[in-house]
This record gives sequence, structure tokens and C-alpha cells, in this order.
Amino acid sequence: MAMIERTEWYDLLRATNWTPKYVTEDELFPEEMSGHRGIPIEDWETYDEPYKVTYPEYVEIQREKDAGAYSVKAALARDKFLERADPGWISILQAHYGALALAEYGAIVGEARMARFSKAPGNRNMATFGMMDETRHAQLQLFFPHANCKLDRKWDWAHKALHTNEWAALAGRHFFEDIIHSRDAISMGIMLTFAFETGFTNMQFLGLAADAAEAGDHTFSSLISSIQTDESRHAQQGGPMVKLLVEKGMKADAQRLIDIAFWRSWKLFSVLTGPMMDYYTPMEHRSQSFKEFMQEWIVGQFERSILDMGLDKPWYWDQFLRDLDETHHGMHLGVWYWRPTVWWNPRAGVNPDEREWLEEKYPGWNDTFGKCWDVIIDNLVNDRVEQTLPETLPLVCNMSNIPIVGTPADGWNVKDYPLKYKDRLYHFGSEPDRWCFEQEPERYADHLSFVDRFLAGMMEPMDLSGALKYMSLAPGEIGEDAYGLAWADIYKEMAHKKAG
Amino acid sequence: MSESPEVLKPLKTWSHLAKNRRRPSEYEITSVRLHTSMNNPDKPWEMDTNLHMNQWYLKYRNHSPLRLEDWDTYRDPDAIVYRTYNIMQDGQETYVKSLLDQFNEREHDKAIDTEWVGKLAILYTPARYVFHALQMSSAYLAQIAPASTITNCSTFQGADSHRWLTHTAYRTYELSLTHPDAGFGQNERKHWEEDEAWQGFRELTEKAMIAWDWGESFCAINLVLKPAVEAAILHQLGEAGRHSSDTLLGMLCDNQCRDSERHMRWSKALVELALENSENKAVLTDWMDKWMPLGINAVEKYCAALPDSAEAISNAKAALEKSRENLGV
Ligand SMILES: [Fe+2]
Ligand SMILES: [Fe+2]
Repeated sequence: MAMIERTEWYDLLRATNWTPKYVTEDELFPEEMSGHRGIPIEDWETYDEPYKVTYPEYVEIQREKDAGAYSVKAALARDKFLERADPGWISILQAHYGALALAEYGAIVGEARMARFSKAPGNRNMATFGMMDETRHAQLQLFFPHANCKLDRKWDWAHKALHTNEWAALAGRHFFEDIIHSRDAISMGIMLTFAFETGFTNMQFLGLAADAAEAGDHTFSSLISSIQTDESRHAQQGGPMVKLLVEKGMKADAQRLIDIAFWRSWKLFSVLTGPMMDYYTPMEHRSQSFKEFMQEWIVGQFERSILDMGLDKPWYWDQFLRDLDETHHGMHLGVWYWRPTVWWNPRAGVNPDEREWLEEKYPGWNDTFGKCWDVIIDNLVNDRVEQTLPETLPLVCNMSNIPIVGTPADGWNVKDYPLKYKDRLYHFGSEPDRWCFEQEPERYADHLSFVDRFLAGMMEPMDLSGALKYMSLAPGEIGEDAYGLAWADIYKEMAHKKAG
Repeated sequence: MSESPEVLKPLKTWSHLAKNRRRPSEYEITSVRLHTSMNNPDKPWEMDTNLHMNQWYLKYRNHSPLRLEDWDTYRDPDAIVYRTYNIMQDGQETYVKSLLDQFNEREHDKAIDTEWVGKLAILYTPARYVFHALQMSSAYLAQIAPASTITNCSTFQGADSHRWLTHTAYRTYELSLTHPDAGFGQNERKHWEEDEAWQGFRELTEKAMIAWDWGESFCAINLVLKPAVEAAILHQLGEAGRHSSDTLLGMLCDNQCRDSERHMRWSKALVELALENSENKAVLTDWMDKWMPLGINAVEKYCAALPDSAEAISNAKAALEKSRENLGV
């Protein structure tokens, strides 16, 4: 068909700003929702979305993508992959869906914020497609796990997790609602699309897709790599915003938003994706270590994209690079130990050959984190399982809302970074976490972390059982060791041989 | 942990749907109860309670005078999910492309008379502003709606509105090729801002866009502005096109009416659900009383500029009033 080229008429799609007469421009675009920062609307009209798509192109491409993803699922349904999958892999799927399906749905609110309140017409159009994309991601990531509900109650958490006060769900909501839902259109555009989606979704959706393909989970692999093709399109909305802010002498503003969002994304990934990649994925299916993925997708790519924008590396960059060797190992240890408090079954991942792999990827692992595992293994070998289970709660960071961890070298270097603000003492897991709070204390002030809630008596009874109830975790849902501790048998044999 | 030894058994579906007798549909599995910000009635977002955005959602959503115990019981009568939306609309776009192509091949734009070309420049191509305003307003409803099933209808409605904008932009450019002196692609903003025909729509649009209460926004946009657009533009302008040998415009408008009728189906279903709480009747009626005069004014002013204006005005007004009657508020 002889249709006229898009480039000829595309600009008319963006000629949609007008001067209001019956209300004021400020009423139409309230600053708290819009975040135009006083930059004249004519300047926002220069916003040029790097990725352009029109409605007919969108519905055609997306229909085809869905046909692909759903047909892979249908074709492999009889394959019963889950029945032969490693329990650690199933834990990855359950953790992933629970943490992300409804978070994807929440991202609609962010896209809708831009579609309504951005003063840039091109941004509003792309965000309209962004709303559609996030609808897709939520629906796919609900539809796929739903088929597994009949296998195990933990699959229910794909829908349920973010509705609960389970601590990781709480941390996820605090993060997403900080960078998306509670921000103006431009701030969230920069924080969500530029700081988070540009790099971190690549990690989760392409990095994990690589592992999934290795593990033989082609349904999941094709699903999440298909999702990432949408992400890489709508992630480009933030770039032109940053560019405009820098041009208008608001570099510090953009830099601060990115520094907050990047650090917070990193902390979430250290507890979610780090353990998945370095411990839950069976060793033979790991395409790269978490650190290697981070270096490829985040360090290399993100660093380049911020420097290209005329911004600086975040002030904590050196610490971030150092933490790549450490944080997620501590998170993993914590999640495994507090396993009754999560909706998936953590896989320890510390068999002798796995420890060798960890030592190779993270030199010094055996002398630090390995020593903590030695204690756990010793307890398991000597049938003191109860000593590998928690009775209390960990200290939780008031920013990341995840446990405060450190590197256990010569004794734990776990350090609290406290801050007193208006008579309340807050605890943070790192200097950058505290820094995030200090940027806008009133934004976070009355929020209670999981442990704050426990101490405030919001969980009855005031012990682990009360905490589990508060988290809506019942037997059948609460996490256990992925192998029912059978992995420790090899150490029992070794101890036996040694003794014999 | 030892208190409740009973281990939860796997279910056939999500626990929140398990009590239903019927097997859940793809629509229910993927669309129901997805907003988490309604769980804590006092604090939508996990941030400080006094943060502007928490206050905005408390004021305009949680504390709206439009109340229902559980908005999550809302269901889209068309049960559209993302997957089926694209299948449906890709089909519609294939149809529209073939329309555009065939009319182009027959040199349609050369055959329309000068007088109608002038009308198109004033009454048709500036519609992209009102279509885009619908796109923006649907995005507002999507972010402020109290149930995911309402958000989804709004999201699809926003995409449909962008669809109408896209058809209009395409036609604007195409018309400019055959009629370079008629101002196509040049004067739309001027007409939208200054031409008497648009001022009723402009006033309604601008005011409706800042009706922040989610219920009032739904009323002003979906129950007044959209039916007014359908009555005056999609029907009366389309009809006028047919009488001016512009069959293409009539067919394009008809196709957009398919979307518009679907929007009214979901809107009517939401009104019906709201009326399950009898107190909502007065709330909705008050809002309709407030916004309808602006809607009537919009269609009157617009249709007055159409050929055969007297008939167009009375038809459009009747359609708008009938649409309110059907809603029962
Ligand atoms: Fe997404
Ligand atoms: Fe996204």
C-alpha cells in the first residue's frame, strides 16, 4: 500500500500544545505533578524522543511480539520443564514474578504521569505507548506464572507478594514508589527511565534470560527478552529530559535524581538479582557472574550514557564498584538465614565446587563469606538445624528497607550509619543510603521500616510468628531451603571420612 | 510458627479469585486487583504521609465523594486485555490503511470542492487538539483510578485517542499536498484557539482536564466530553462529509466510533457499579448537572459552523442528552 512516509507527518503528532484560556497553564500543568521547573513550554516542545513509533506500527509490532511469546508458552506447555527444573531455578521464577509483576503494573502510573503532565508533546505520546507496554509486562508476568498455581502455593505470590507487608515486598514498594509514583513527571522520567530502565532492566531481563536459556527454560527466556525490547524503547524517554535540564543550568538537579535512583536500584538488585545469579542458578547454567553482568550492563553502559549527557559519575562510584564484590553475598547469606520470611525457597549454593566458582569470581570469598557458611555447614553437619534459623529480626535500613549487611572478615564489619532527624533516630546501611535520605528528609520522615513496625508493636505476638503473620506468610508459603538441606549431605560425608 | 500447623494447599488460581466458582478468564487472571496503593487507606505510597503525592491521592482518590466498598469488583464488559487489544486494533488499522490507500488512489482529495476544503481546515484537522486532550485525560484517569480494571480501560482509551490523533495528523498532511494554500498543517492551533466553532469544546476540555477528583474527572471526560466529541465530531462532521462528497471522512469517523462506543460501554458499566451505593446517585447527578451545560454549549457552537447547522445542532444535542439519559444520572 502506498502510505505516506512517517517522517512527513510525524511532527503533526507532536503539535499538540496550545495556550489555555479558560484555565491557566499552571493549573493545567501543576508543578508538583509536571516538574517543568519553570522551563518555558516552548523549550519543552524541543524534546525529541530518540525512538519514534506511530500507532499503526505499535499495534502491529506488539501483536507480533505477543504472538511469539504466547506461542512459545503454548508449544512448551507439554514439555513440563518445571517438573525437572532445579529447585533453585523455580525459586528464581517465584522471586522474580512476585517482585516484578505488580511492580510492572505500577509503572503504568509513572508512564501515565508523563502522558498527562509532561509539557513535552513527544514525551506524552511515547509515554502513552509506555503505559501500554507496562500493561503488557504486568499481564504477561501474571498469565505465565498463573499456570503454575496448581503446583505449589508459592506461585500465588506472583500476584500476592506486593500486596503484602512481607519485608522484601515492602522494600520493593518503597523503592518503586520513591522513584516512580510519588514524583513529578520529569523527575520520575529521569529516575525510572534513565537511571533504572536503561541499565538495570537489562540486567534482570537480558542477563537472566541468558541464564534461563542455559537452564533450558525457553519459555521464561523468550518471555523476558521480549519484555526487554519494550523496555529498551521506552527507557529512552528520560535522555532528552536530562539534556534539557543540563542545557538550562539544572545539571545538579538531574545529577541528584540519578544518583538517588541509581543507588537505590543497585541496593534492590543486590538483594534480588545478585543471589539469583550467583547462588540460585545451578552453576553449570551460569552464563556470567552477577558482578560480570553488572560490569557489562551497568558499569560500562551506564557510565557511558551519563558522561554522554554531560553529567558526572555518581559521587559514590568507587564505593559502588567495591560493593560489587561484596554486598550481594551478604544479602544472600541474610536471605538464606531468614528464609522463613521470603516467599521462595532460597538455594544455598555453597557446595564445594560452587565455592570454588565463587572464589574464582570473587577472590577472597572463602575467607570472608565462606567463613560464615562454614559455621552454618558445621551446624548442619552436626544436626543443629535450629541454629541455622532466625529467632529475631535483622537490623533494617530506613532507605533501602533491606537488612544492613557487611563483609565478615575479621568479625563482621557491619556498620550502621545513623541519623537523627527531628528527634527520631534513623538507621542506614551505607553512607549513600543516608545521603539519599538527607536529600529530602520530609519525603521519607514518618515511614516505618519493617523493624520499626515490629518495635512499634504492630506485629502480634511480638516474635517471629507474629512477624510472619504480619507478612501474610503461612506454612506452604514460607520459604525453606530449596533442597530441604540435602545439599549439606556432601559435607556430612566429608566430615565422616575425615573422622573415619 | 508452630501455632498453625496446617499447610496451605495449592489452588487452581490466584487466592483472591479462588472463591469464585467459575474458572477464571485470561481477563480476570491478568487484570484484577493490581493496584497496591489502595491497601492502606491512609497512605497510598510508602513515603511520608504528608508528601504532596500522598496527599493528592488521598484527596482526589481515597476521599472522593464517589464511594464504593470495593472498586476492584469492576469489570470491563469487553474484557479487553493487552494481547486482544493489539489483535483487534491491528485489524482496524489494516482496514484504515486500506481506506486511505484506496481513496488516495482514486485521487479523492482532488475531487472535494473548495468550500468543503475550507470547512475541513477549520472543523476537522484542528480536532487533533481535542483528541490529544482525551489522550492526556485518559492517562490521568489511568493513574488516579481506584481499581486496576478501571485503569486498564483508561489506558486503552488513551491509546485509542492517540489513534484518532494519528488518523487526523495523517489526513492533515495528505490534504496539504493537494490543497497547499488551505492552511493544513499550519493553522490548526490558531483555529482551535480562536475560531468560534471550537471555543465551547476548548472551554469544556480545559476545565475538565483540571477536574482532579477521579470521579469528577471520569464524569467530565467520559460522560460529557467524550459523548460530545462523538455526537458533534464523529457523527455530525462525518455526516456533513458524506453530504459534501467526502466519503472518506465519514468512513474514518465511523471507524473511530467503534472505539468510542466501546468507551461508552465501559463507562456505563462503571456508572452502574457506582450506583450500587445509592449515595452515589446524587454525587454523579450533581457532577452531570455541572458539566452537561458545557457539553451542550460545545456541540452547539461546533455544529453551528457545519453546513445544515440547524439539523446538526439538534441531532448532536439530542444525542448528548440521550447519552445522559442512558446513564441514568
Ligand atoms: Fe516493564
Ligand atoms: Fe518499563
